[in-house]
Amino acid sequence: MNEQPKSNRDANTTWAKPVDQLQVSGVPTGGINLNVQGKHLSGPLNGFGQLWQKTYRVALTGQEVEPTRLIREWKSNFPSFWPAGNNFFGKLGSIDPGDVAVLNLSGPAKSSISTGIMVIYADDESFSFMTPQGHIFAGMITFSGFEDGSVEEGGATVAQIQALVRASDPIFEIAARLRIVHTQEDIFWHGTLANLARHFGVTSPNVTQKDILVDPRVQWGEAGNVWHNSAIRTGLNLPVRMWRRIFGEKQ
Amino acid sequence: MEHKTFDAAIRHTDGVVAIDMTGDIDGAAEAAMNAAYAQADAAGSDPVLLNFSDVGYINSTGIALIVGLLAQARKSHRKLVTYGLSDHYQEIFRITRLSDFMGMYDDEASALQQL
Repeated sequence: MNEQPKSNRDANTTWAKPVDQLQVSGVPTGGINLNVQGKHLSGPLNGFGQLWQKTYRVALTGQEVEPTRLIREWKSNFPSFWPAGNNFFGKLGSIDPGDVAVLNLSGPAKSSISTGIMVIYADDESFSFMTPQGHIFAGMITFSGFEDGSVEEGGATVAQIQALVRASDPIFEIAARLRIVHTQEDIFWHGTLANLARHFGVTSPNVTQKDILVDPRVQWGEAGNVWHNSAIRTGLNLPVRMWRRIFGEKQ
Repeated sequence: MEHKTFDAAIRHTDGVVAIDMTGDIDGAAEAAMNAAYAQADAAGSDPVLLNFSDVGYINSTGIALIVGLLAQARKSHRKLVTYGLSDHYQEIFRITRLSDFMGMYDDEASALQQL
């Protein structure tokens, strides 16, 4: 890694305060607010499946963008870089430690999966999310920017997304082994980094990916996580949402 | 706070391998941390003690590195415990759920008692 940290290094302001259960502040009309409120965070070691470190990178070739500017604009416009059909319902215009956001992700057959994240860390050159129980993957995702040589020498600032994750439960692990959820995840982050690079003027972004299998074993002790499976719970809630859409919310 | 370069050294004590860490744990610490763990791992099946007493700042990439060490230790059924974390970083180990999998003790004597 080429990161040479120069950012604010005050652990009191860069890390989130501990929370027992996640609290959602609100989701706009039309968004599905499920599987986040009251859930616990679930770290990379709390999931069921194989533990993967997945690193996606794009170089902002030919553009003079400092890592701090990259991260500032990434935080400010975070949802706008997501591929179409996916929604991030968080605080507008910033990413701060302790923030909780609801995500509506596009699933198979035009379905939606409602899940979320909590911002556990943010400084001037990086920020990190952690997933709640029931999310497809249990783990941490870190977004960062660093210089890889100077622009004059043919180098560039690099935007990186690094996920340290394992499938939350046996159902998501089967989907992972069949490459279904990994492929979706890869398409998602490739699309995000390409959009981010275009935002900074890169015309033909080249997103690279490196996967490392950190732990090939599954954790049978975590099989019960299936109770919180966000895809199943979002699907089971569909009749309720349709009823409300047709007949309105009963006050 | 100024960036302090990370370094790690291993030592054998009371049937365990201790990794004494100094400086900041961030992306720049990756090579030194993995090298120290590989050295400890090669030393046999002794439990590993991570000494955080002289560690300054830990960012989220640093936490990911520690998760990676813990995953390697679990894979080889090796016990991993920590000591010397400040109250603040003990909280962060709780947020990130690392504390579910590794004991956290105030000092080396207390950690050794638990092994």
